Amino acid sequence: MIFREVEDRDLIAKARRGDVEAYNLLVSRWEKRVFNYLLRLVSNREDALDVSQDVFLKAYQNLRKLDAPEKFAGWLFRIAHNEAFSLLRRRRPEAELIPEMGSPDSSGRLLPMELSLAVESALKRLSEDQREAVLLKIYQGFKFEEMAEILECPVSTVKSRLYTALELLKATLAPTVWRGDAQG
Amino acid sequence: MSCEKHDWKAYALGELDRPARAEAESHHATCVRCREELATLRLTLDTLSTLREEEIPRRIAFVSDKVFEPKWWQKGFFEKVLSPNLAAACVIAAAILVHAFARPSGPDPAQTQALIQAQVSAAVNEAVAQQTAATLNDLRPLVEQVRQTFIREQGIVRQ
Repeated sequence: MIFREVEDRDLIAKARRGDVEAYNLLVSRWEKRVFNYLLRLVSNREDALDVSQDVFLKAYQNLRKLDAPEKFAGWLFRIAHNEAFSLLRRRRPEAELIPEMGSPDSSGRLLPMELSLAVESALKRLSEDQREAVLLKIYQGFKFEEMAEILECPVSTVKSRLYTALELLKATLAPTVWRGDAQG
Repeated sequence: MSCEKHDWKAYALGELDRPARAEAESHHATCVRCREELATLRLTLDTLSTLREEEIPRRIAFVSDKVFEPKWWQKGFFEKVLSPNLAAACVIAAAILVHAFARPSGPDPAQTQALIQAQVSAAVNEAVAQQTAATLNDLRPLVEQVRQTFIREQGIVRQ
């Protein structure tokens, strides 16, 4: 992880000097994480891909404004957050369809794919702010302080959103997942 | 309901510092409610971790600006050869245009024609005079010979 950070910093320095290939390498390291974060937020693959491209383009254009290269991840996700919510605001008037939860098979136990779908569905039932808090913490591993910087809000707000989301997820997933678990 | 004192979510998410973590763990060993709370929380987190990470449909990459920059030899060509020529052509074109629109009015064509006519006539006259003089020079010995013959014949006649 330390070596990775050093390498990222080196790539950032090169990209700042106009080395596009160095930046492409940096993109290749982060694109999957950014794409998955955006995919869970905007719930559409094409939109997530388009926004991902916009994110990396904006990041490249503003790379010189990044004060601390070691904070690249948080800075990148802040751009991604802004781009995603910009899209969500434009899209808001549309009715949002929430898919049905996955249901257990005849044995009561959920298959891995079904479990994954159940989680995906449960995440979609959260508010955008709550979902984003879960994505940044559970799937991207950011600390509360880093999340507060990305979301531009106090740590207390981050914790509030995340804790509420976890309670909702527990309530949503428990009947499906644990019933199957108990029967299995 | 677990004990309010301990933040089990922060514990499960790895956000507690070492002393708070140690304190929570010692309490966990003695409190059934907190054990249940933490177990449920861990199960939720484990379930969330089953979400599949998707591959990005298309790789994102940016084309180097250098591709669009001229090569060194192209730069040399553009800067040292093409540009001065282009500049010179522009200057010449501008000069022609300015001359075309701003030049003073020229002489009357009839006057020019008369002038040319006069020059041609003068040249022809001069050429004719020269030719005449040359012809006279050529004829002078013959004339002298005729004159001498005539004088001689006159003298014979008088005698």
